[in-house]
Amino acid sequence: MATPVAQEQRTLGFTEPGRPPLRTPRTSLKLRNALIGWTFILPNFLGFAVLTLTPVITLFYISLTSWNIFGAAKWVGLANFERLIGDKSFHTALGNTFYYALVHIPVTIVVSLGLALLLNQKLRGAAFFRTVAFFPYITSIVAVAVVWNMLFSPEYGPINQFLSLFVEGDLPGWTVSKDWAMPAVIIVGTWKDMGYYMLLFLAGLQTVPGELHEAARIDGANTWQRFWNVTLPCLRPTMFFVTVMVTIQSFKVFDLILVMTDGGPGQATLVLSQYIYQKGFEQFEFGYASSVAVVLFLICILVTVVQFLYNKRKEA
Amino acid sequence: MNRKIMSGVGLAAVASLALTGCGGQDEPAAADGPVTLTLAGWDFASTPEFETLADAYHEANPDVTVELKEYPAGDDYDTALTADLAAGAAPDVFIVKNLKNYVTFTEGGTLLDISDVAAELDPETGGLAPMAIDGATYAVPYRQDSWLLYYNKALFEKAGVDLPDGSWTWDDYAEAAAELTEGIGEKQVTGTYLHSWQSTVQGFALAQSGAPLDGGDFSFLAPYYERVLAMQDEGSQPTYATVTTNELTYQAQFGTQKAAMLPMGSWYIGTLVAEQESGAADTFEWGIAPIPQADESTTGTDATPVTFGDPTTMGINSGIDESKVETAKDFLTFAAGPEGAAALAGIGITPALIDDTVADTIFGLEGVPQDDLSRFAYTTHETLPENPVGPTTAAIQTILGETHSAIMSESTPVDEALAEAEERVANEVG
Repeated sequence: MATPVAQEQRTLGFTEPGRPPLRTPRTSLKLRNALIGWTFILPNFLGFAVLTLTPVITLFYISLTSWNIFGAAKWVGLANFERLIGDKSFHTALGNTFYYALVHIPVTIVVSLGLALLLNQKLRGAAFFRTVAFFPYITSIVAVAVVWNMLFSPEYGPINQFLSLFVEGDLPGWTVSKDWAMPAVIIVGTWKDMGYYMLLFLAGLQTVPGELHEAARIDGANTWQRFWNVTLPCLRPTMFFVTVMVTIQSFKVFDLILVMTDGGPGQATLVLSQYIYQKGFEQFEFGYASSVAVVLFLICILVTVVQFLYNKRKEA
Repeated sequence: MNRKIMSGVGLAAVASLALTGCGGQDEPAAADGPVTLTLAGWDFASTPEFETLADAYHEANPDVTVELKEYPAGDDYDTALTADLAAGAAPDVFIVKNLKNYVTFTEGGTLLDISDVAAELDPETGGLAPMAIDGATYAVPYRQDSWLLYYNKALFEKAGVDLPDGSWTWDDYAEAAAELTEGIGEKQVTGTYLHSWQSTVQGFALAQSGAPLDGGDFSFLAPYYERVLAMQDEGSQPTYATVTTNELTYQAQFGTQKAAMLPMGSWYIGTLVAEQESGAADTFEWGIAPIPQADESTTGTDATPVTFGDPTTMGINSGIDESKVETAKDFLTFAAGPEGAAALAGIGITPALIDDTVADTIFGLEGVPQDDLSRFAYTTHETLPENPVGPTTAAIQTILGETHSAIMSESTPVDEALAEAEERVANEVG
């Protein structure tokens, strides 16, 4: 970082008095390099700008209007946000989103890290089991939802038939019960995502230096102590990345819930992204839907910023 | 190398801009020469009605060609069409597929006022009158399915239960379902099958009670829900939990004789005939009866049974080229009139206007039951909309949809769920 500034000063210093500073070959080379670099990023950036950045910026504007998609949007200021405060369905959706996220995030991290540690061992057939664990991630979400729904079927499903071997009395109603629908969705969400994050953790585990483990072992640290004091600190960059990804993904969960429970029974699994869809594309209240989207956006960005700050403090 | 790539990208960008520029232009057509109308529809491979209407109109008016523009099926139709309407790129004539979006389309100024077309149509056309908003009509129904009761004659005989005779109330129906389940005596076979849609309970309750959807009082739903819950508890029909988690389909339940009765829309006549022919459904004798009634005042073949069903309607894009307006109106008059009705009946679809020609055509199809009650049920009914035209319909239906799943899954008691729905409507729909 220091070199370009120093060069700049040197260039200025060598300029003869009375003549405007000239561009030296070095700066024009730098400029050229930057231009070439930008050119390479351009196709990607154009796609991002047109398909993501513009809609996101427009979203903020639309959230301050009343718009049924046809004709001009009517400016209403903060009215949509005021309405959010008293909207019980929005509160339910917000609560459910946090319910899903707060359970799904830690469970997914623990399960995928556990799987990664297990499959990082020199185990016969480890490659096969890694593939098995990754498989749910690449399976179509609709197929996953249909099959799990059948497994969860309260009357004929294998899960409850299995549970009835051990449990007397009432069994969970899973996706058709107000209390059990969310746990059912979280179980499937975790099962589907764990393979992907396991893969990230596996990659992270390869970077943990063997010498550190060896040194710790010589010092008499047991397996748990070595995990806690060697593996986990070395995994921090991976852990950070995984946490950010899982968090954002959990807050914007949509497709899984839409196909598994459609937000039901009642509003038991209604989440923010589905509420946005309902308000926007089913009821044509795009202004109001956008204001919910803004709230979701702010939640995601707030959580991410907190995670970044925490990570930075740990890094320092 | 670098320069070459860049100029390549530039060329491609210019080319695509030029191409999209071309696509956006409308070609003005002369009013007296050959005219081409465009019509929006969905999934042409399995929905032949659009092509049938287009061909029939072209045959009657060789100067006019109706060009079809295909949109995705299901709910995506509305989303894709809405995007095109907002962008000013939608076809001249389009189908208003879901009645609950009709008000939005109208308020958005996307539909032309076609009250003159509506005035020309037979007032008997199903679903026509409720389409008027403050005296003006913006879309006319060309097809309207009504809900009927399908029954399996063989299973009734096996259980020794009397066939429906058109005099049934819902209590008679519930009683018959229980007797059938017991009389058939096979596990997996139930007296009736009720699909998981909210309309299978709410549609009937709304139509037969005469209560308004936007009145803020949902107590009219309570007796209907209590009856249905009792029926699923005693095993007369598969429970809502089983229907949703096992993804049961009504076609398989009734078609493979897992249920002796089925309340369903008249579109299923064509499906069942086709499936029996292809072997997807078992071959058995079946019939259609009027849907059971709330009380005896509307039962019997000398009365007109009340049922529900949303019309499918057609409107003209307000962005249409002015020279084509008259042609488009003429096409709508044709499609919603007797000629369009006859063409639709020819492919087994129930048009909005049911006259003798239509009934003869439908009952002339091979595999359609020939008894008098079936014909009575098909031709005689007062069909009220499931989604009455109104600015709050879409929002209320969303809330009632959630209420339906809460009640049917037995997560929430009927009264509590309905009270919650009333509170939510007061709170959220304004």
